[in-house]
Amino acid sequence: MLSLENIVIYHDERPLLQLSAEVAGGEVLTVMGPSGAGKSTLLQAIAGQLKAPFSIAGQIKINGVVINNIDAHLRKVGIMFQDALLFEHMTVGENIAFAMPADRHKNKQVKRDAINELLAAVDLDGIADRAVNTLSGGQQARVSLIRTLASQPEAVLLDEPFSQLDVALRGQIRSWTFSQLKARKIPAVVVTHDKDDALAAGGNIIELL
Amino acid sequence: MFTHVTLVARWCLLLVLCVPVLAGLVGVLFPALGYFPAIGANAFSTDVFATLFALPDVWKMMALSLFTGLGSTLLAVLAAFCILAAFYQSSLLGKIQGVLSPFLVFPHAAAAIALLFVLSPSGIFTAIGTRLSGYFSYAFTNLFVSETPLINETALPASTGAAILYDSIGFGVLLALSLKELPFIILMTLSVMSQPLVKKKLKGYVNVGAALGYSPIASFFKLVLPTIYSQIKLPILAVLVFATSNVEIPLILGPNSPSTLAVAIMHWFNHIDLSMRLLASSAAVVQVAVSAVAVLLFLSIERIVNYMGKRSLSKGNRYFADKAFRLCGFAVIALYIILICAVIYTMVAYSVAKQWNFPLLVPDGATLLHWKTAISALASPLINTLLLGLLVSTTALVLVIFTLESEQLKPAHAYASNIFSLSLFLPLLVPGVAFLYGLVWFQQLVFQNAVWFHTYIAHMVYVVPYVFLSMAVAYRKFDNRYAMVAQSLGKTPWQVFYHVKLPSLFNAIMVAWALGLAISFSQYLPTLLASGGTLPTITTEAVASVAGSSTRLTAVYVIMQAILPLIGFMIAWYIPVFAMRKRGGQTPMSDSLSNVSADPVRKKPKASIKTRTKRV
Repeated sequence: MLSLENIVIYHDERPLLQLSAEVAGGEVLTVMGPSGAGKSTLLQAIAGQLKAPFSIAGQIKINGVVINNIDAHLRKVGIMFQDALLFEHMTVGENIAFAMPADRHKNKQVKRDAINELLAAVDLDGIADRAVNTLSGGQQARVSLIRTLASQPEAVLLDEPFSQLDVALRGQIRSWTFSQLKARKIPAVVVTHDKDDALAAGGNIIELL
Repeated sequence: MFTHVTLVARWCLLLVLCVPVLAGLVGVLFPALGYFPAIGANAFSTDVFATLFALPDVWKMMALSLFTGLGSTLLAVLAAFCILAAFYQSSLLGKIQGVLSPFLVFPHAAAAIALLFVLSPSGIFTAIGTRLSGYFSYAFTNLFVSETPLINETALPASTGAAILYDSIGFGVLLALSLKELPFIILMTLSVMSQPLVKKKLKGYVNVGAALGYSPIASFFKLVLPTIYSQIKLPILAVLVFATSNVEIPLILGPNSPSTLAVAIMHWFNHIDLSMRLLASSAAVVQVAVSAVAVLLFLSIERIVNYMGKRSLSKGNRYFADKAFRLCGFAVIALYIILICAVIYTMVAYSVAKQWNFPLLVPDGATLLHWKTAISALASPLINTLLLGLLVSTTALVLVIFTLESEQLKPAHAYASNIFSLSLFLPLLVPGVAFLYGLVWFQQLVFQNAVWFHTYIAHMVYVVPYVFLSMAVAYRKFDNRYAMVAQSLGKTPWQVFYHVKLPSLFNAIMVAWALGLAISFSQYLPTLLASGGTLPTITTEAVASVAGSSTRLTAVYVIMQAILPLIGFMIAWYIPVFAMRKRGGQTPMSDSLSNVSADPVRKKPKASIKTRTKRV
């Protein structure tokens, strides 16, 4: 459960946006609005990556725990962008291994199996040793999703995640993403321009002005 | 924890940049005002300045410094803009960068010596000129006189075409300085133009310009230049200050009676009579004033150009002396290529020449003797140079990277970051001759015998700003969302830095490292002063050898000076390539192109950047 209680984001002293919302596990909250409304800034605030001149008031809670003052890397909030942003100095498998919490697997083989299992879930069996930039855009998007899930996040934020994909691919990746989030009961916030994203997400929609 | 370490690094960097400069300025100010206890001068007064201004040549020296400095900078800026305007949209741009980059890492001392060789009355150009005129007169005589006299190679008339050196108004110095400054200005400008945001904006502007019917050159001067000028202003001012106070070039190529102020200061400081130190110190203070006047003059010229430019903007002229600028651009590039060829040929030929008499175009016999002599003589200077360079460049790089990291982890306020970027340019905006002597004075007060430490500090002052400029470009280009993603995957700031940023920026880091090496290798005055002459390096030896006996030995020194930084850049380029190959031929995330440094062997990474965001 991700709760946003009386969130106000300031640009310097000027309030940029205000909202309150609750997202249950497996639900997707959609935030829509024009450019400059502060959609991406909201996600950065939740992820703990808000930089000056922005600041935040209100409480962000995950499962009832206030996370406002927790460092970004300890929040367990995954974030995904329109680009897959796979690390190109690592293979596909290494990207995923990099995301997995340390010491969760008994040995290398168990870890490898876990990686392959994750990849198989999105129809990408056996590409663990491939170089990242040999993948197609759709494949990269799926690996990016898997990588986020491998870090076992307690909430996931998506910043216009499908806007770089062409139309044919978009629907497929979208349903894949949402069904994976639903299956793992992870609350998610998606920021988008695209009405179809909002409809496919199937959750509440907040329209910023 | 890591955040704290980076903060400490930021403060260290600030201290390394500011303390030596400020201490140095104080250290010349006291003697300039007559306070120099070592020789029993304990009272403050302005007598020293009175003595200085009573010297017959002092005004001429100042004028000479001002003329060569300001003239060369204006010329270099103009020529740089010509080249950029002519080529900024051309596919030749990369090649031009390749031609100019070696000049950037070629030490000033070496460049001056090389020009001395090429342009001297017995240099290659005069030899060719004499040859040609010889052949013409031969053909001419042949036409009318049936009995052909044999031309005696050595009896040809000496040419007068080499008046460019040692001329009393410093024209040769001016040209040499411009030649050396131009590549720096071009590469700085290109690095600004290649910042992602600026690049996008400029592309739009140029497209709009083209749609409105403006020629590419007009677009450059009316749209591109006004947009980026504010960002290249500070580097240009640094170049200007450097040019007004440079020692190596006027020392080697300039007039002697009088010399430029900076050269005179050096002679006075090194005078056996310690009381000359007072004079030198006051002259150093005057040097700061001369540089300041040069900056003010430059800024007022900039104002005037800006005003005229504004007027020409609203006139709506679609062309901007297109042909002239294109021609100038090509001419300057041609000049560089000719000079580079002539320099390489002359240096290599001299370094293996047994004997090379004037109008001959090739030396008379080859020998490796000079190389053998040089290598045995240079063994310890070479080791000094390398050790110092590695030490300075590596620590500078660590400081700079941590500082950049701290700026991202804990951004300073706008005000503080302005102060910071100004302090970054402080060592470049205060003439070296002015503060280095004062610094030496302080250093002798504190640790008298720590020669390496003093030299290290003096080098750091000059290496850190360049390494910082070079790395900052790469950091700005780095897509910070990678760091955000890594953080959201639960990685600590250190892990993000070590596992994501360092590998992604590896190319750029290596290039910045090589640049640091090159800058350290090329330091003449800081090495000479801080070490008190006890730490000979390749550069100090090369300058010393100009006054020495063998031109052929000097040629070897110059070649060594040119090769050392190139080796650094080769290493910087090949290590990432090997590292890539090991991982199966992937391409790096961020390319290191168009850093300030612009490594001379860059060819490959260019294509790589496109693979990142394109999707199928």
